[in-house]
Amino acid sequence: MPVDIHAPYKERVRQSLDEPFLQMAVERSTTRMVAARHAAMTAVDGEKLRNQARQMKEYVLRHLPDLLEQLEANLKANGGIVHWAKDAEEANRIVREIALQNGVRKVVKSKSMATEEIHLNKALEETDIQVVETDLGEYIIQLANEPPSHILAPVIHKRVEDISELFHEKLDIPRTLEPEALCTAARYALRREFLSADMGISGCNFAIAETGTICIVTNEGNGRMVSSMPRVYVAVMGIEKLVPTVEDAMLQLQVLCRSATGQAFSVYCSMTSGPRRPGHPDGPEQFHVVLLDNGRTRMLAEGYGEALLCLRCGACLNICPVYRSIGGHAYGSTYSGPIGAVITPLLADRKKQFKELPHASTLCGACRDVCPVKIDLPRLLVDLRADLVDENAAPLGEQLGIKAFVKAASTRENFERAGKFASISTNFMANMSGGNIHFLPPPLSGWTQSRDFPAFARISFREWWQERMALRQRD
Amino acid sequence: MSSRDEILNKLRDNLSRYDLRFPPENPLPLPPDARMEVTHAEGDRWALARRFGAELRKLHGSYDLLETAAEARLATIAQLMTWMEEDRAQRRTKEREQESDWDVLMWDPEVLPIPGLAPSLTDIGFHMIIPDDLHDKAVRERIHPIRAGLTGVDAAFASTGSMLLTSGPGKSRAASLTPLRHLALIPLSKLYSTIEEWMAKARKQGELTRLLRDNANAVLITGPSKSADIEMNLTLGVHGPQVVHAILFDDLESLIQNRS
Repeated sequence: MPVDIHAPYKERVRQSLDEPFLQMAVERSTTRMVAARHAAMTAVDGEKLRNQARQMKEYVLRHLPDLLEQLEANLKANGGIVHWAKDAEEANRIVREIALQNGVRKVVKSKSMATEEIHLNKALEETDIQVVETDLGEYIIQLANEPPSHILAPVIHKRVEDISELFHEKLDIPRTLEPEALCTAARYALRREFLSADMGISGCNFAIAETGTICIVTNEGNGRMVSSMPRVYVAVMGIEKLVPTVEDAMLQLQVLCRSATGQAFSVYCSMTSGPRRPGHPDGPEQFHVVLLDNGRTRMLAEGYGEALLCLRCGACLNICPVYRSIGGHAYGSTYSGPIGAVITPLLADRKKQFKELPHASTLCGACRDVCPVKIDLPRLLVDLRADLVDENAAPLGEQLGIKAFVKAASTRENFERAGKFASISTNFMANMSGGNIHFLPPPLSGWTQSRDFPAFARISFREWWQERMALRQRD
Repeated sequence: MSSRDEILNKLRDNLSRYDLRFPPENPLPLPPDARMEVTHAEGDRWALARRFGAELRKLHGSYDLLETAAEARLATIAQLMTWMEEDRAQRRTKEREQESDWDVLMWDPEVLPIPGLAPSLTDIGFHMIIPDDLHDKAVRERIHPIRAGLTGVDAAFASTGSMLLTSGPGKSRAASLTPLRHLALIPLSKLYSTIEEWMAKARKQGELTRLLRDNANAVLITGPSKSADIEMNLTLGVHGPQVVHAILFDDLESLIQNRS
């Protein structure tokens, strides 16, 4: 049973925890990716690499408007067409218009979080344009009609038997448990799509401002296909995804690859600086770049600019104890894991709708330790929690609890009285259940649903201290 | 106001706020001499060539290292013949009887670093499809089943086994992308220890930005196409080549001859 991503948060988490295969697959793949990342970052001076990448990205964010203008000017000089989109709706409208103007009936896409974020596929399909995902994992889940569960490995929740059955049903090939045979089947099926597509769409891992170049990082080669084969090529990029120079691009490429998959370089980094020129044997006739805001300027304005340094490597997902337990679908949005818990509520400007996400973290800090640009994710999560309290969006039980605590802690008398009450009542309950407390009444029942609650100490520290001092003075 | 101006104004307004939590006020750009060389390789050109080969092998690629362009020409022909034989052995007997020419999707022989390759290939019976042929739509549509691609490189990097290829007149993107196997010819004069070494040199000569801007497309290739999407199993040749073979050869002598 796939997880229903439209169900409420707690229901999604429960469904995810009830999936034994999902649990195993996520555990297995994240463990492998964590090890690969660790090996790659320790094989070189990983600390220096991360520091340099962060310094470079901080510079980018500080000079973002100037760099965007430089990128735009260079893209135009190279013969590209630049579009700006405030939000998802505008971006989708732009891409749809490019498609309609060029009589596009079929689009091939390489994996892109930005286009997932704006739900571009849905927008195109509503206009009767067929969209084919070409990343092997994305292709599989598109055939299965499911959303991706990991930034890099969208199909970690599927076993080879499921894929075999799916290909048998949709591509009409014999059932096989050989990954290579499945891969070959996809290669040939997708070749037909590349040949017949009128337009290619990709995201953008980074754009180089000084040359007007869009870079796509893939291991399979589909990024090269979508940017080279169809006659129209459109890249959709978040406005934060740019670097000043070619040297910066290669620095970012290396820290991204090491952090994401443990490679020194991905198999392909395809760099497009404009449409095919006269005399060129291949390449697109038209090259469009859509610069997407969709909440990014608001993130900066609200003090969460640090999250705009993110390279989308997925390292924070793999290391996160919460992600490893519940998987990507439980987050109910395009971006999962610690970075998803931060940017999902902010990008959509729907903090309240995603108010549980900043709590989907133990604040253990492992994400900050592996982040290739050292984003302080735990701090951002705590800030978000604080914002939610300020906006009265915290759960009622939490609000009442905090109010009660404020009352109790406001004077010494109140505090001691509350302590006495807590001690007597919890010890009474602990005695009843013979040790720890297994059940608390609402609103505290949330705690005891999954773990015990220990009784308070029988006497307070003050009482203990006074007794002790009295004993000393007697001696 | 256009979306463009709205986005840029919002950014500028916020970045000029004194109370903005992030980014820091004056982050410095990375000074060129402080940039790290992420990976490292050293030694003479032969050592670098062997390092390149070793790195490519780790990625399931393969290589030959030869002393002259003439030897490299023979190695190229031998490699293509081996692949052709592999393909023919796989075909059923009936198909074998009506054997057609075996196609090679390649860069223009004029831009390949080995002289005299074209006549040899034609003599043996290979059918060359060169970039100029791709202007014909009918040819473009039948390149996908071609099983061998032959290209040169713009530069290669020993420490990671990577190759940089630009596209342009005489140099198609397809030759290194759509065939099942890719044969790359790498003269040692184009082999650098690291990508950082190459960038520093190209920047100094004023060619780094020109190379990207003038060619519409450049690609950095490190090993054969691969995926781990199916239960984390490594599978090669998803969209791009399953086999990447590099032929490295010393062109120092021919460079000296050309100059004199």
